Amino acid sequence: MHPKDCVRVRPAWLDLKSVLIFGIVAFLLLFTVFPMLYLVFRTFVGDAGFTWEAFARIYTYDLNWTALSNTLVTALLAMVFGVLIAFPLAWLVGRTNLYGRRFFRTLFLMTYMVPPYVGAMAWLRLLNPRVGTLNLWLMDVLGLAEAPFNIYSISGLVWVLTCFYYPYAFITISRAMENMDPSLEEAARISGASPFKTLMTVTLPIMLPSIVAAALLVFISAASCYGIPSIIGAPGQIDTVTTRIIDYVYVGSAEGLSDATSLAVSLMFLANLVLWASTFLCGKKQYFTVSGKSTRPNMVDLGRWRLPLTLLVVLFAVVVIVLPFVTVALTSITQNLGKPLGLDNFTGRFWTILVTRKGILDTATNSLIAASVAATAGMVIACVMAWLLTRTRAKGRRIPDFLITLGSSTPSVVIALGLIMTMSGRFGINIYNTLTIMIIAYMVKYQLMGMRTVVSAMTQIHPSLEEAAQISGAVWTRCFWDVTLPLIAPSVVAGWFLIFMPSFYELTMSTLLYSVNTKTIGYELYTYQTYHSQQTASAIATAILLLVIVVNYLLFRLTKGRFSL
Amino acid sequence: MKKVLSLFVFLAVLSCYSLGWAADKPKVTIYTSMYEDIIDAMTEVIKKRFPNYDVEFFYGGTGTLQAKIAAERETKKLGCDMLMLADPSYALELKAEGLLHPYLSKEAKNLALAYDPEGYWYPVRNLNMVLAYNPEKYKKEDLPKSFKDFAGDPDVKGAISMPNPLTAGTALVAVAALKNAYGYRYFDLLALNQVMVESGSVALTKLETGECREIMILEESVLKKREEEKSPLEVIYPSDGIIPIPSPIMTISDEWSAHANAKICDELTDFFLSSEGQSYIVKGWMHSVLKNPPAIPYDSKPLPELLKNAMHVNWEKCLTERSDLRKNFEDRVKRQKK
Repeated sequence: MHPKDCVRVRPAWLDLKSVLIFGIVAFLLLFTVFPMLYLVFRTFVGDAGFTWEAFARIYTYDLNWTALSNTLVTALLAMVFGVLIAFPLAWLVGRTNLYGRRFFRTLFLMTYMVPPYVGAMAWLRLLNPRVGTLNLWLMDVLGLAEAPFNIYSISGLVWVLTCFYYPYAFITISRAMENMDPSLEEAARISGASPFKTLMTVTLPIMLPSIVAAALLVFISAASCYGIPSIIGAPGQIDTVTTRIIDYVYVGSAEGLSDATSLAVSLMFLANLVLWASTFLCGKKQYFTVSGKSTRPNMVDLGRWRLPLTLLVVLFAVVVIVLPFVTVALTSITQNLGKPLGLDNFTGRFWTILVTRKGILDTATNSLIAASVAATAGMVIACVMAWLLTRTRAKGRRIPDFLITLGSSTPSVVIALGLIMTMSGRFGINIYNTLTIMIIAYMVKYQLMGMRTVVSAMTQIHPSLEEAAQISGAVWTRCFWDVTLPLIAPSVVAGWFLIFMPSFYELTMSTLLYSVNTKTIGYELYTYQTYHSQQTASAIATAILLLVIVVNYLLFRLTKGRFSL
Repeated sequence: MKKVLSLFVFLAVLSCYSLGWAADKPKVTIYTSMYEDIIDAMTEVIKKRFPNYDVEFFYGGTGTLQAKIAAERETKKLGCDMLMLADPSYALELKAEGLLHPYLSKEAKNLALAYDPEGYWYPVRNLNMVLAYNPEKYKKEDLPKSFKDFAGDPDVKGAISMPNPLTAGTALVAVAALKNAYGYRYFDLLALNQVMVESGSVALTKLETGECREIMILEESVLKKREEEKSPLEVIYPSDGIIPIPSPIMTISDEWSAHANAKICDELTDFFLSSEGQSYIVKGWMHSVLKNPPAIPYDSKPLPELLKNAMHVNWEKCLTERSDLRKNFEDRVKRQKK
């Protein structure tokens, strides 16, 4: 030990830090790293010892290579378009005097709160080449002989993926943008740069690490998504790695499961490669963008561009958000989908099913419990991590941070398969078929979004406030409860929702992990969508959206405007 | 703000507690691929008929549930006590692997369809794979009337849809029958005719909107829509024969089952095969398996009449050829080039 460290150490304080770090690291090692390593192990070591057989069988089959390349192409394109959309939107909404910016901010975050596969079915109705509503309308207006769009294609898949995963980039980028030090931009403006030039030469470079992080998030989400490709890709015979993996699992034999595992490993390596590349890219570009006592960044006056840009954002919102959601909502009250909605074709029976069907109510309860627990436990870890990262210099505090990022960058299918293989009694832990395994899976996957929110809030609070409390004699717990917590509370609630919502309607992992008593609403919704009734599925989806809007409104009221999504 | 946070903590703690409740009645869990509408109705009836038991249905597609069972077998204990899955060949497989519990039901003598003489499985509902179309959008005269033309008629190219044999048990049976009738060449024709491979609800919606002209689907899904939603969609009973699927009911042996209540399962088997139990099957738009069926499904025809023109399925063969069928379907249909 360095001599300096020996002076005036407070053992309890130090111990607490190490214990906390150790606890979080142990949790992550057990539920993230170990299952992943075991998957790799199982790919090569079967019951009969080391073998290339499973690996060779999977990777000599050209359908799997097509799937792999489809995944790579669609996820990369969704990533590029997602960031290209999210960056200007985040800037317009966060840093300019765009009309209705608060409203737009909430609206764009709303997409994050809706199950992506629900959007997929809306786009299916709008853009199918034969009778797609939007296609027919465009043909009529533009006098085309053929439908301009075909949703059952790679580009269709990219379109829907982009529409539903750009909010991930939007959240990440706008958070960073709102936290950045405005003095650099002011300096540029004073030196005579135009707002646009300032954006390109100052804001953009400073934002680069966040943009890369955002891009990574979109890439991983798009690459590990199952709902969208299974709905959009299936009719056009476009397979992705996730649909292939689930197909293998559905073969329903031990061999199918091991084939799925072998294929999942490639998805995992792909994701880890991207993660590694992005850390490598950004590791050297660590900007100090947030000053000690941060002021609210200044607002750019859009001048004569204010109205045209607002209209552009409105157009975007109408096409990407309003159109599909209205389609879904209308589907839920339409009797015969082959006819226009009118009084004779209106029905409330799908909403009746929604509130009376035991299966739907039970699964909603399950999801509510699993998502609440995951979000709450996730936020506890997030607060601890935020404190460790921003207020201490504890050794090894970056390790849990890295592991949490690793977990979130791991494709959902891989997390689920890994947990099934390792947590079903083989190694002394049997939590398969319980809600616990779901909660853990959700935490591993969505922890990052929650943690980033709290960390970024903590960095904005100058330690002087806490020091003042400590000098006045408050112990650190009291100091945290009375000073820090009230200050970061809006972010804690926001972070809670960022974990809660995707966990609530999660599909990919739930498809593999559910059991008799732990079926989730996401899986139930998917079941209705694919097997029973699209209208009932639409009713469930609309109900989820309404719930999000109501909760958001209530929180906004309760906190007197300090909090909204 | 602190109040909001405390509320969250409270809710979280509350939800943790609510996980701890337990039931004390002897329990039976049934994995089934029957519609949830029927499940709800049956749950009610069984609650009345067997007030001392806690009988629970768990819905999933046949393929999904088979995958689940495969995963559960690794843990040496299944999550269910009974199975009511669609694919009859799965019963043969589980019997061969010694997972089933035999029971000689007193209702067996009334069955119109073949059952296991040792009592390992009984047919409990008959499903039919048929074709369907939308008379509000297209004329029946213009559409294929047989499975053969469904794949062979270039007129419907790109506007046909069928379920996925990789995930749906009934679809696997259907392709087994079609392969038996027309060889693997039939798969190539499906690919040439650009068939969309997707699940029932998606296909029905496409039929309704006119995106698809004709689909291969289970009769019950169309009948359900006709009765419940007054849908105009119509069944076409193919001229080369319907594909009948006598779906079995089976009990897991106590050694493997979730609650080891095989005796109760026997009582339930009798109930499902009784005239009363079968009446709920018929209400669920499926055909009764009894010699004297309590009724016929809404808008359908009597089963014996339908079976006069039906494709024969060899269940033993269906089992041995299963992975071949899946592989060929994948190779020939899923790899179709546009």
